[in-house]
Amino acid sequence: MRKVGIAGVGHTKFGRSEVSLVDMLALAALEALDDAGIRTGRRHGVDQVFVASMGAGILNRQSSVASALVDTLNLQPAMAETVENGPASGASAVKLGYMAIASGMCDVALVVGGELMRVVTGWEATDFVATMLHPDAEYAYGLTLPAFAGMFTRLYMDKYGVTEKDLAMVAVKNHEHAMHNPVAHIQLVPSFHAIIEDEDAPVINPYVAEPLRVYDVCPVSDGAAAVVLCAMDLADRFRKKPVRIAGIGQATDTHVVAEREVPTDLLAVRLAAQRAYAMAGLKPEDIDVAELHDAFTILEIAISEEAGLFPKGEGHLAVRRGETRVGGRIPINTSGGLKAKGHPLGATGVSQIVELVRQLRGEAGGRQVEGARHGLAVNFGGFGNNVVATILSKEE
Amino acid sequence: MEPGMYAYRCTACGKLFHPARAVCRECGGREFEAVPLEGEGTLLTYTRVYALPEGYMKPWLGFGIVEFPNGVRVSGQMNTEDLAVGMKVRATVGTVKEGVGRDYYGFIFEKAAQA
Ligand SMILES: [Zn+2]
Repeated sequence: MRKVGIAGVGHTKFGRSEVSLVDMLALAALEALDDAGIRTGRRHGVDQVFVASMGAGILNRQSSVASALVDTLNLQPAMAETVENGPASGASAVKLGYMAIASGMCDVALVVGGELMRVVTGWEATDFVATMLHPDAEYAYGLTLPAFAGMFTRLYMDKYGVTEKDLAMVAVKNHEHAMHNPVAHIQLVPSFHAIIEDEDAPVINPYVAEPLRVYDVCPVSDGAAAVVLCAMDLADRFRKKPVRIAGIGQATDTHVVAEREVPTDLLAVRLAAQRAYAMAGLKPEDIDVAELHDAFTILEIAISEEAGLFPKGEGHLAVRRGETRVGGRIPINTSGGLKAKGHPLGATGVSQIVELVRQLRGEAGGRQVEGARHGLAVNFGGFGNNVVATILSKEE
Repeated sequence: MEPGMYAYRCTACGKLFHPARAVCRECGGREFEAVPLEGEGTLLTYTRVYALPEGYMKPWLGFGIVEFPNGVRVSGQMNTEDLAVGMKVRATVGTVKEGVGRDYYGFIFEKAAQA
């Protein structure tokens, strides 16, 4: 198989988009193509396009988005597909781009993830996201992702001693990281005291799904992110030295959350990460920076453990010791994470990879992890029933 | 008439599932028989949700995961404000969501009577 790298990255400012879904995707795509130094127009250099979107059909009443993106960018006759894998659509699309190049089918693939979510109300968005749950055994009850995250958090607190303060520390850390990321949705750091210790904390930071509060949950955001994938044997065609995709792992778990044998385990995360490490020939100790799917603060802690960065049940202790902040032993969610950067579903997996590329290139500004060589991204679909882990390595 | 709630037992190996599946995870069997899921169970975890999805006209709703004595675990709504991990609950079947043209039935758990 050919080695595959990332030659260019692009990312819109997450938050509220002023333009349509396809125009937003195009903004991220053009930034990534320009970053790679790839020509547009009649003799463009893109063989294949993958677009990740979970909600275009439901939220925007638009299908075949990849074809529409090819048209507006005038990338014909490039091959094109839209990829839907819930909130893990982005990393799935990158995986498919990797496969397209590794197989020898093409040389250059443009992967764009995006979601235009703020066209509906908050409760419509919550309902839409819940459509990925089991239709009869979960969705029909009014169960949502926050509900499962709340029930998971209670189990984690009882079993491992995680506290609401630990969760608030994750939130504050990620908001602090986002202050150094110009494309993050939320550019404001909440006071730890105000959201968890103060007597007014229950008003400022009320429960959403006990024991999770407002500041434990990611915002609803619009946004798009893009990467240009290339065969490493063509690396000298591009403006910058490509960052190599060293490993990709993916795994599924039971759709029905209640059926999991050990309800505090996220087996699909564990297996996806193990597969990615094996493919990369790396161990968790080799990872210098990680983007983990913190749609809820508890998930950053649980995923950090399942991905082998800390022993099971000890992720919150690492948070207390400051090991997961920039400057710590293994900085997590330097971009601000889903919590502060935002979580436009289809964009998220691509956005995580954009952040790792910026870190490994040394382009991360005030949030740079010095000397980062290997980065891990975990993109979490469903309530952990379809998870993609991606490892990037800096080419020496 | 409100339908009952069932687990589905693999006729080859006896493994129980809820909801129904096409293939048994243990043995690959494809035939199942319905077994009523009723009576008392144990509350494993719960939450109160204050931001409900579209279609619910309530300020909050309780949800839980309950284990029946036969080992089957299910999610359901909680019809009691008095919630604690490990408490005994009793399964009832009721309207969990009012839909357009049809209602959805499912588990609504109540606090079990003291033994
Ligand atoms: Zn069986």
